[in-house]
Amino acid sequence: MAHEEAVEVKKRIREIALKIKRDMEMGRFPKIRYPPNTSGNIEFSEEEGYVFSPRVYSEIRGSRLKSLKTLAGILYGMDKALDHLENGLTMTKRDFYYIHKIERLKGTLFPKDQRETDSRIVLMELVLGLPREAISITSDPRGWIYGDIELTDRSGRTIRADQVGEMGYSVPPRPENIKFGRIGVKAVVAVEKVGPAKNMIELGIPEEHGIAVAILKGQASRSMRRFLRMLSDKGVPVAILTDLSPWSIRIAATVVYNSISSAHIPGLAAPEARFIGITTGDVETGFFSDYRFALEPLTQMDLKAAQDNMRLPNLQHPFWQEENRWFLEKKKKAELEIFKAMSPSARELKGLFVEYLRQKLDENLGIAI
Amino acid sequence: MAEREVQLEQISAADFFYRNKALAGFDNPVRATYTIVRELVENALDACELARRPPRITVFMTRSEERVDGRGTIYRLTVSDNGIGLDPSDVPAAFGKVFVSSKYRLMQSRGTFGLGGTMALLYGQITTNMPFKVTTARDGGPVEEFEMKIDIKRNEPIVLKRRRLADACDESFTRVEMHFEGSYGKARRKIVEYLRQTAIVTPYADMLFVDPDGVPYLFVRSTDVIPPLPREAKFHPKGVDLEILMRLISTTKTRTLVTFLTTHFQRVGSKTAREVVRLAGLDPIKRPRNLTDEEIRALFRALRSYPRFLPPDASILSPLSPELLEEGIKKELRPEFVKAVQRPPSVFEAHPFIVETALAYGGELRPTGEIQLYRFANRIPLLYDVSSDVSYAVARRIDWGNYGLRSLEEEPVALFVHIVSTKIPFKTVGKEFIANKPEIAREIELGLRICARELKSFLHRKRRAEMARARYEAFARYYELISEVVEDLTGERPPVEKILSKVRPPAGVKKNGS
Ligand SMILES: Nc1ncnc2c1ncn2[C@@H]1O[C@H](COP(=O)(O)OP(=O)(O)OP(=O)(O)O)[C@@H](O)[C@H]1O
Ligand SMILES: [Mg+2]
Repeated sequence: MAHEEAVEVKKRIREIALKIKRDMEMGRFPKIRYPPNTSGNIEFSEEEGYVFSPRVYSEIRGSRLKSLKTLAGILYGMDKALDHLENGLTMTKRDFYYIHKIERLKGTLFPKDQRETDSRIVLMELVLGLPREAISITSDPRGWIYGDIELTDRSGRTIRADQVGEMGYSVPPRPENIKFGRIGVKAVVAVEKVGPAKNMIELGIPEEHGIAVAILKGQASRSMRRFLRMLSDKGVPVAILTDLSPWSIRIAATVVYNSISSAHIPGLAAPEARFIGITTGDVETGFFSDYRFALEPLTQMDLKAAQDNMRLPNLQHPFWQEENRWFLEKKKKAELEIFKAMSPSARELKGLFVEYLRQKLDENLGIAI
Repeated sequence: MAEREVQLEQISAADFFYRNKALAGFDNPVRATYTIVRELVENALDACELARRPPRITVFMTRSEERVDGRGTIYRLTVSDNGIGLDPSDVPAAFGKVFVSSKYRLMQSRGTFGLGGTMALLYGQITTNMPFKVTTARDGGPVEEFEMKIDIKRNEPIVLKRRRLADACDESFTRVEMHFEGSYGKARRKIVEYLRQTAIVTPYADMLFVDPDGVPYLFVRSTDVIPPLPREAKFHPKGVDLEILMRLISTTKTRTLVTFLTTHFQRVGSKTAREVVRLAGLDPIKRPRNLTDEEIRALFRALRSYPRFLPPDASILSPLSPELLEEGIKKELRPEFVKAVQRPPSVFEAHPFIVETALAYGGELRPTGEIQLYRFANRIPLLYDVSSDVSYAVARRIDWGNYGLRSLEEEPVALFVHIVSTKIPFKTVGKEFIANKPEIAREIELGLRICARELKSFLHRKRRAEMARARYEAFARYYELISEVVEDLTGERPPVEKILSKVRPPAGVKKNGS
């Protein structure tokens, strides 16, 4: 499988190189056509999230100096990426940057800073129509899943995600090739913060209530989003649990709809996933209504983010708009650690988590735990 | 109160200048060394120009014996030229008397006062008590050698020896040999600079200077073209001062005031003459010699106030020509760009003048952190007091940024200003800088601006060509790289030549604008 993919990637890269070779032999300026990830090429729908549907194309032209640098840059980048791919090596964006810091590239591609090579990675994705992970450029992996899920990954080993250490299974950079075996959970709860998520695991909630806990650790990584989508495609309901803050609303929406900057990568949105909390309703009249004293004030940056949120295409649904308006009105936020304010003792905490999850999973996904 | 005897001492002109040697540039041994070379070289050049031959001038300076009392070094200086030479009978007066000059006419020349060369000889005599030697001949005439001194009190030449060396010679020449006490070490830079700048403004001259250390400095002419000899002219009525008017009146042979005016002045016909005389309230047929001082002053005032004289005749001037100026600059400074212009004649205080300006850029020129301004007056380089000169003020007020230059100090750019006139308005007797006359300043500015416009378009073309070249080189680098990568990916290396032929830069910039 992995090998087949490398063959396909190599074919695409060679095609581009051959076309450039022909152009140079004919004395024609070479050019590469690609669909840019500009707003004109990105559609949004509640059903599918951000979808890349190219209508407009750009050209990288060998007749203009700036464009020529880009042309040489992506060609060089693809050549090195292919070399890694064929030798079973991966590289990070930082590695990719260092691959350009060589004597031979002085006066041409030697980069001023990493932004220069980072933006070329996106271009390579657009030109090849493949995520960077497909050409071996990966991020540091981030995200874990804990629960009764059996899977086989590239390592060839079959793993149960509640039997691989206290954090569970670490989602690999390119989860594409994972094969799921038996899935023994009723739902996955994707939790923004490590602390509360670990508490749930430590309290034995996954085992006792037949759920999996996914740990996002902030903004969900591309690999985590892809993994959640794959689970969703397998029919596993996905619930998202974050802080109630202008940033967290984006984290939740990105899991559901994908983001503009990675809109050109398919399979990252999980439109079936449901945001379960913390909601404004929880704070105003629901689960946390007696603990409003534990809210935190919004900072200037938070407020600015809330204002920007009002205009984001993936937050236009009346639900999100209402939630977001609350920030602008109340200038407050709630964090998942609020559970600790409610229950300084461990015994009560478990009860509170379970009660909250039971209520929310039922309300949003119709699942009883 | 004690009776005091008032003693009136009559001093001769030579004595006067001996007492005021600072005025003429002899105030210290360094300055004197420079001034002596300069005065003798200028006389030599003047003589050559009259002979209409490309000047060939040699200057030898050697250390003579050390002074026993250790006061300073004595140098022997020999300056030879292939100029018109002198009639032997004129030698004693020309060299042994100040205020004797063949140049007391209204004519553009380097010398003006009848002072320079003689002062140099006088200085040598005062500091060494040694005689000087002049050897000279006119075409076909005998060669005679004079050994002379100057009687300072009486302003009279003393001929110690006179020898006939040959009865006839092929080509006229003059050789002046003298001793003086000076200081060459510190004067070297100025002397060499003076000769180099002279070579710029006299590109048709060969000059060899061998200094006391035996180091030769050779300036070879790059052209045979000599600018036409300036013509002698009559005074313009507005250009005379009372002194000159009195001298003309005392020596004239004319018999009426009207003929006096039409004979001795340019631009004065008999109708104009009668109007001037009437304005002065004088009798037109009065004999000029019989005018009283009061009447002379009335005539002077009338000449000054009469409004309808035509401007003075400038055709008598002999500027260098833009071609020769560019030639001189190119040969001595080797710039990448040079442009010279000549302004049309203009007038200040009834003296005609012509300004020539030039700009040079790049090549062997280097930025110095200072304004590189070369000033010339009647083909003499001016080396001192640059910041007091009219040209300096003009250079400072021009907005060089508009002409593509960041600043004069930081760019490899040199400015040249040459003024020719029947009277150069020097601020001092030292002939070092020119007064800020608005008429002259205006012409300098216009001239420099024309050159600057030319420089601007040169720089524009040059920068465009540089950009095109840089662009081409960048294209070459990227296509080389692409070619390599394509080879890695496909196994075959595509050629870069075909593609690069499409981005060839325009072939080089032209050296100079036209
Ligand atoms: N090398 C020479 N060849 C021919 N004549 C000369 C030479 N040197 C001097 N003379 C004659 O001697 C005269 C006096 O020279 P001097 O240098 O004293 O005065 P000047 O050149 O007329 O004026 P200035 O004071 O400006 O130098 C000159 O006018 C010239 O007629
Ligand atoms: Mg003289």
